Amino acid sequence: MSAIAAKPGANAGAFQPVPSVIAIVLAIILVVVAYFLGSAGILAGGAMLVLQTLCLIILGAALIAFGVHFVPVGGAPAAMGQAPGIATGVAMLATGAGLAGLFGGAWAAELGLGVALASGAIGGALMMAITCLMVNISYVFGMGIPAASGKVLKDPITGDLQAAYKSQGTEGHGLPFISYVGGVIGGLFGGLGGTLIYIELLNFYNVGLPALGFVGAEGINMLAVGLAGIFAIGMFLVIAVLSAYNITGTIEGPHDPKFKRFPRAIVAAILASAVCGLVAMLVVALF
Amino acid sequence: MQEIIIGIGVTALAGALAAIAGAAEDTESNIGSQGDPNSQVQLAPQMGYTHRIYNKAVSGEPPAYTLWVTLACGVAWAFLMLGVNAILAIVFGTVLATFVQGVYATTAYLGRTASLSKFGQPVFIDVIKSVTTVTMAHAFVAIITTVTVCYLMMTVIGHPFALPLLGIVWGLALGAAGSATGNPYYGKERQYQNQKFGAGVPISASGNIVRYAEAGQRSSIDNGFFTAKFGGPASGLCFGLIVFFELWRTILFEDYLAGWGAVIAGAVIIIIFMIIDRYVEVWGRKNYGPYTVEASA
Repeated sequence: MSAIAAKPGANAGAFQPVPSVIAIVLAIILVVVAYFLGSAGILAGGAMLVLQTLCLIILGAALIAFGVHFVPVGGAPAAMGQAPGIATGVAMLATGAGLAGLFGGAWAAELGLGVALASGAIGGALMMAITCLMVNISYVFGMGIPAASGKVLKDPITGDLQAAYKSQGTEGHGLPFISYVGGVIGGLFGGLGGTLIYIELLNFYNVGLPALGFVGAEGINMLAVGLAGIFAIGMFLVIAVLSAYNITGTIEGPHDPKFKRFPRAIVAAILASAVCGLVAMLVVALF
Repeated sequence: MQEIIIGIGVTALAGALAAIAGAAEDTESNIGSQGDPNSQVQLAPQMGYTHRIYNKAVSGEPPAYTLWVTLACGVAWAFLMLGVNAILAIVFGTVLATFVQGVYATTAYLGRTASLSKFGQPVFIDVIKSVTTVTMAHAFVAIITTVTVCYLMMTVIGHPFALPLLGIVWGLALGAAGSATGNPYYGKERQYQNQKFGAGVPISASGNIVRYAEAGQRSSIDNGFFTAKFGGPASGLCFGLIVFFELWRTILFEDYLAGWGAVIAGAVIIIIFMIIDRYVEVWGRKNYGPYTVEASA
């Protein structure tokens, strides 16, 4: 196929069932492999712990992939007021929010799973709430430009008309209220997913590291926190970048037609996180 | 009680340092032209507009600042482990990271500008000499303040992450906050100063950036001078608020309701910010009104 023939057509971003089924089957195979590694004693903690850890890592990754699609990102056009959204990259903004959530979640890890997850989610949402507010302050008070969406005629939440507030020759600018809410929800899911991955890995390493035998009791927690943190951040980046590819450039938020592409990103995230999760657990394998 | 008072003091200090970091980060990225608006600096020669603007956006601000802050945190941590005084350790780490930033900036400018040679864009050696050191100075301020925030989080507040991990988290958040808030001001207000105020840049004007100053050609250093009046402080406020509220809600409310107090406080703060945002949006719509077609003379 030539490059011209391969140009995206009207169904760009459509859900493709065959590759999706292949991806899901591959992910299931990896989960089964992990289960057998656990039951064979190669991964410490037993088959059920390994299974639970990998499945929850996959769930966390799916939450991140879903959340990234909510974040209104305008990229370079937004920096010139040519398109609505935040003027930076999808992956980086989502990761920034997710890691701010991970910071809060890791801090609250000792208070139990529920508090840690909620704290992670709120941390990510708080980062996005402040960033999105400052974006609108910058547009309205710094540049004299009102917020306007280029994708919908009316804001689905407030009902504000958008077209008349769009300046000539642009696709809109700033963050209409629906995009703001989308940003906060995106941060919420990102922080939640990132914290879930971190806590599952932390629990697994706390079991796996003593079984290796060469780490002293006082060093286990520090090493476990470090390893879990690095792998959680790494996986967050993998999933955020995958989702950014799915979005292709810019997205306004949940009202953008591109938002409907999210199932494809979730399938990709399931497979990618199954591979990454298995590798993260094999770090403490008893070979 | 004493713990909480120390915690609040450290939170205030961390918030203030983060505000300085955000302002310095945005100014650095605008002088070096690293954010998304740099797409126009790269595009301009291709549209026939050669210029003397610095051009170092081989990566976005968030990954670049993740690298520099993590590097500084890692080196500082190694020195701390060797028993070196904390202030010295942070300074050593930051100096090294700043040199890496300088090398990055120089090679990025040379590489990106040389790639435009077929469009007649020259590489200006005097631009490298004059601008690189200015970006390094701003990067030093941004990095040292962020590393200090991370150090306070690790030691006084007692976050479980080690210093380099905190460097990854807050370096990325610094770049994300700075680019999100500061980029539109640099892109729309400065690069397209010749376009109408109060409207986005028409897509047809892409690449036609302002290239001349009051005397001679525009220098990137003046871009920093311009954006330091609004984009820089706004970015600083953004990053400062993020760090402050992230710490404040936990330190003050974590002891209530078995940890849920901090979560509820965070949710309340988010709702307050949401209300403020809606007010700002409505204020903008009311005061600037819908765009109207200009009547022809």
